[in-house]
Amino acid sequence: MLQQALTSSLELLINKALSLNISALNINLVDLTKLQQKTLTIVLSELSFPISFSVDSNRILVSGLTERANCTINTSIKTLQKLKAEQQITELIKQGKLDLSGDIKVAQQFASLAENLNIDWQSELANHIGDVPTHKLVQLSKKVADKFQFAAKQIKADASEYIVHEKRLVVTRSQVEHFNHQVNEVSRQVDDISTRIANLSKQISNQ
Amino acid sequence: MSAPTQNQSPDSQHTASDNTTHFGYKTIDKDDKVSMVAGVFHSVAKQYDVMNDLMSFGVHRLWKRFTIDASGVRPGNDVLDLAGGTGDLTAKFSQLVGKEGNVVLADINSSMLNVGRDKLRDKGLVQNINYVQANAQYLPFEDNTFDIVTIAFGLRNVTDKDMALRSIYRVLKPGGRLLVLEFSKPEHELLNKAYDFYSFNILPKMGELVAKDGDSYQYLAESIRMHPDQETLKTMMDNAGFEQTSYKNLTGGVVALHKGYKF
Repeated sequence: MLQQALTSSLELLINKALSLNISALNINLVDLTKLQQKTLTIVLSELSFPISFSVDSNRILVSGLTERANCTINTSIKTLQKLKAEQQITELIKQGKLDLSGDIKVAQQFASLAENLNIDWQSELANHIGDVPTHKLVQLSKKVADKFQFAAKQIKADASEYIVHEKRLVVTRSQVEHFNHQVNEVSRQVDDISTRIANLSKQISNQ
Repeated sequence: MSAPTQNQSPDSQHTASDNTTHFGYKTIDKDDKVSMVAGVFHSVAKQYDVMNDLMSFGVHRLWKRFTIDASGVRPGNDVLDLAGGTGDLTAKFSQLVGKEGNVVLADINSSMLNVGRDKLRDKGLVQNINYVQANAQYLPFEDNTFDIVTIAFGLRNVTDKDMALRSIYRVLKPGGRLLVLEFSKPEHELLNKAYDFYSFNILPKMGELVAKDGDSYQYLAESIRMHPDQETLKTMMDNAGFEQTSYKNLTGGVVALHKGYKF
C-alpha cells in the first residue's frame, strides 16, 4: 500500500499548497476550470506504480487510477523536476527523456499550474508557531543546510581525488588474477619438489 | 474472550432452510439480526470515524484508497456505496465521477446515514450524491443501474450474504463490478494470534473508553471471526453470478478486497 500512502500524502500537500496560492492569487481559478475532470497520469521509472492527478472544483485528486487519464507521461524523477517549466516539455520529448501519450495540452496546463505554485513557507510557519520560533528554526535549517552542503562538497572533492589519482594506484582485476595464477604456479612447483624429495628419500633408504 | 470454537460455523454455512444466523458468536433467529446490528450502529454512529482511526491506526484510509484505485471509476459513472456508513468512499467517488456522474450512499442504518450526510455536506459535497436507506438483500433500484458497487466493512453485518450478493449482481450494469472490502483471515499464524489478542483484549476496552460501548466492539471482533474467509467469499461471489472474481489481501490478510464483474 505504498502507492496509497504516497498518493494520500501528495494529495494533502498539493491541496494545501493550492489553497494557499489561490488565497494569494498566484493561481488563477480559470486555469483550474480548464482542467475540470481532466487527468494527468505520470509513470515514473523509479516507481512500480502510476500516479494520477485529476482536478475536481478547486482540488487536485491524487490516485492510482489509470483508466481515466487524458494524458500519460512516462519519465524519471530527474526529468520530472524539469517539467515544471511548461516550455520544456517539447524539448524533453525530443531528447527522449519523456514519453507522452494523449492530449499534450493537459500536460501543459498541469505544468503551468505547477509553475505558478509558489509558497512562502516562512510566513506560513510563522502563522502557526510565531515569528521568533520561525526565525530561529529558519536559522537552524540554514546552518544544517550549510553543513550538508559543505559535507557534500567535501565528499565530491574526495571522490574526484580518488578517481583522478588514487584509482591509478589501485590493483586492477587482471593484476589480481595474474597474482593468483602465479601463487597457484608456485604452489604446484612446491608440490612437485615435495614429491621429488619424497621419491629421492625413498631411493636412499632402499640403498 | 477466545476465538470461535470449531463447532461454530461461519455465516456462509447456514442453509436457506436454516432460520438461524450469527450475531458475533451468538446464534440467533435471522429475523432478529437486523435489529441487533442496527442497535450496534445506532450506538457507535457518532464516534464511528474516530474509532475507525483509533482501531486501525489510520490504515483504514489506505485500505479505502486501495479500493478506489481498484474500482477503475471514470467521470460519469454511477456508483453505489453500499453500507456506506459515514461516507468515506462516497466522498472520494463523488469527486471522481464529476458532475455527470452519480453516487448513491446507501445504508440500512438511519443513524449512520445521518452522520454520513452531515459529514459530506460539511465538506461541500452535495451535487451528485443521493442518500438511500436500504437493506443490501432487497436493493430498491432497477436492474442494471450501477457501473460500480462497493461494500466496505458492511457485508459481515448482512443477515443473508448470498441474497445480498445476488441483489448487488442484479443492480449492476453488464460490465459493472463489485468491490467488497472486508476484514478477513490473516495469512500468517503469528499475525493471527497478535490480531486475536488485539481484537479481544484491547479493542473492546478502546470502545468502552472512547465510544462508551465496549459490547459493540466486542461484537465487531466476534463478527470478523465469523465472517467467511477469502476463498469462501470468493466462492460465494462466483455462486451469485460474478465472473473473473479475485481478491487481494491487505495488511497480511487482516483485510481483503474482493472484486467481481457482471458480464
